[in-house]
Amino acid sequence: MTLFSARGLTAGYGPLKVLEGIDLEVNEGEIVVMLGANGAGKTTTMRAISGVIARHGEITFDGHNIQKVGPDAIVRAGIAQVPQGRGTFPELSVEDNLRAGAYVRRDGSGAVQADIDKWFELFPRLAERRSQRAGSLSGGEQQMLAIARALMSRPRLLLCDEPSMGLAPMITQELFQMIERLNRDEGLSVLLVEQNANLAMHMASRVYLLETGRIVASGTAAEIGADDTIRKAYLGF
Amino acid sequence: MSLPIHLRSGGLPSWAIRVGAAGALVAVLLWIPTHGSDSLIDTCTTATMLMAAAMSLNLLLGFTGQISLGHSAFFGIGVYTTAIGVTRWGWSPFVTLPVAFAVAFVVGVLVSLPALRIKGVYLALVTLALGLVFPAFVKWPKIEWLTNGSRGLDKTGFKFNKANPTYELFGWNPWGNLRGQNVKPFYFWVGVSIVALVYLVCRGIVKSRMGRSLVAIRDNSTAAAVMGVNLAVTKGIVFGLSAAMCALPGSLSAIRTGTVTPDSALLTVAGSITFLVIMVVGGSGSLWGPVLGAVVYQFIIERTSDWSDPNNIPGAVRPLFSWSDVAPGSGIFALALILLMFFAPFGIVGLWHKAVATVVAVVPRPAGTASVVPQETAQPES
Repeated sequence: MTLFSARGLTAGYGPLKVLEGIDLEVNEGEIVVMLGANGAGKTTTMRAISGVIARHGEITFDGHNIQKVGPDAIVRAGIAQVPQGRGTFPELSVEDNLRAGAYVRRDGSGAVQADIDKWFELFPRLAERRSQRAGSLSGGEQQMLAIARALMSRPRLLLCDEPSMGLAPMITQELFQMIERLNRDEGLSVLLVEQNANLAMHMASRVYLLETGRIVASGTAAEIGADDTIRKAYLGF
Repeated sequence: MSLPIHLRSGGLPSWAIRVGAAGALVAVLLWIPTHGSDSLIDTCTTATMLMAAAMSLNLLLGFTGQISLGHSAFFGIGVYTTAIGVTRWGWSPFVTLPVAFAVAFVVGVLVSLPALRIKGVYLALVTLALGLVFPAFVKWPKIEWLTNGSRGLDKTGFKFNKANPTYELFGWNPWGNLRGQNVKPFYFWVGVSIVALVYLVCRGIVKSRMGRSLVAIRDNSTAAAVMGVNLAVTKGIVFGLSAAMCALPGSLSAIRTGTVTPDSALLTVAGSITFLVIMVVGGSGSLWGPVLGAVVYQFIIERTSDWSDPNNIPGAVRPLFSWSDVAPGSGIFALALILLMFFAPFGIVGLWHKAVATVVAVVPRPAGTASVVPQETAQPES
């Protein structure tokens, strides 16, 4: 069942148009990976979906049109984003970062604390550092924290903007395993944009290729991997 | 026992330290009006006004990361709302405090509108314009019927009356009274009450869900937005509250001095800079920073106010300042600012934390191990 879909999604910054009308779909329970080089428009896609930049096109989530909806209502609807880079709040403690992630929730501090404990169980390294400043965490830990924080709003669709950026391959692998696990155990749908094609392809249900604001190819991971020209251009083998 | 001494966070020692500090604070507050000289009470009253103004700026800049060089205008709104209310419409001065709060809140929200689209140096410029425009606006001939232009207004203070109560407590009166004698303690307590109110508002916000969203906006506004923080509404409320709280000490200033003029220092951009520097020297983004900053600032200014005459300068520092023919107070404070920025970028509060950290290490208590004292602090990886 289609959870999220965008038809003819355009977005940009002022006069600069970055996305020139892309079609995108995420079904319930899928991990969809969007590959693209620098400047292809990956982060812009993420920002457009979250509503932090102006966007046009037909955007639906869970059957509702969310094109004219503000970023806070989009989070409440069930879309959470892990922003690019170290998307944590360095001056807040690890635990307060998680609490900040529950900003839109209205179900009381007890339920929020229960979720915090749940994610601490899944990310034991964060639990050890719960009262430390988030800025003092390692890169991998901060990325884990950013993911856990996004999960605090109880999303159904998680947007991950290049989680592997600046991380060692080992840490990236660990991170991707965690995302797969969340997908499997929690039924979380994931839209992940990456440059790091090799690792991301392994867990993808479907793959989109983005090139200068247009989607140039899409298909299952196997189909994309089997196409020789795509493989040479994007995967480098 | 070797340094640093390890303390468990949340344990008895830190609780005892808090109670001790609160007791000491109350003792100092009671000592000032009962045993202090008139000039000390005056100095402290002025310091409370600067505290409240710097704290309100701190909520906006220190916690939310939105710079304002227009807080002198909000202070001025407090001054003029009170002065106009008292002289034109015969209000009781203390009634004007909430009115000033409301007027400044509205203006603050309006000023936040450009702040939604711009940040950093551009926001500094827009708010600077507000600070520059305010004294000129007050002097504008078309509203002279209200503000009396550059001549200012007088008799804006409290009208003392022999019939006012004295509020004695078993023959002991640390509060002063409103019968026209011993009024300095009274203004002091009004100042302290304003600071207490502003402190409680700031503390309530900072320690709450909203406070986390403010720090989130400051540290990473995109991440805050995708977390569901409504940037426009949050910034608007904080701007409004900050402006409103800054108007309270302005209101006290009009009540206390009894005269207002549009060119007095705190109503011009110099006032904005003073609030900003006090906040930074004290420690931005910390609740107590502006309090300490204001005390240090006001005492340096008072101590050096007669130093324009070299004979008044103590011998040890006379060679340093005798060339100056004006009081060097703000110069000394500026020097302190530069040194602090170099040695302790987080101000006096940061310096204090640094000093404490070399003596005492507070060991964080891991979850579910309340009775166990961990042997070592977890070291951050980088």
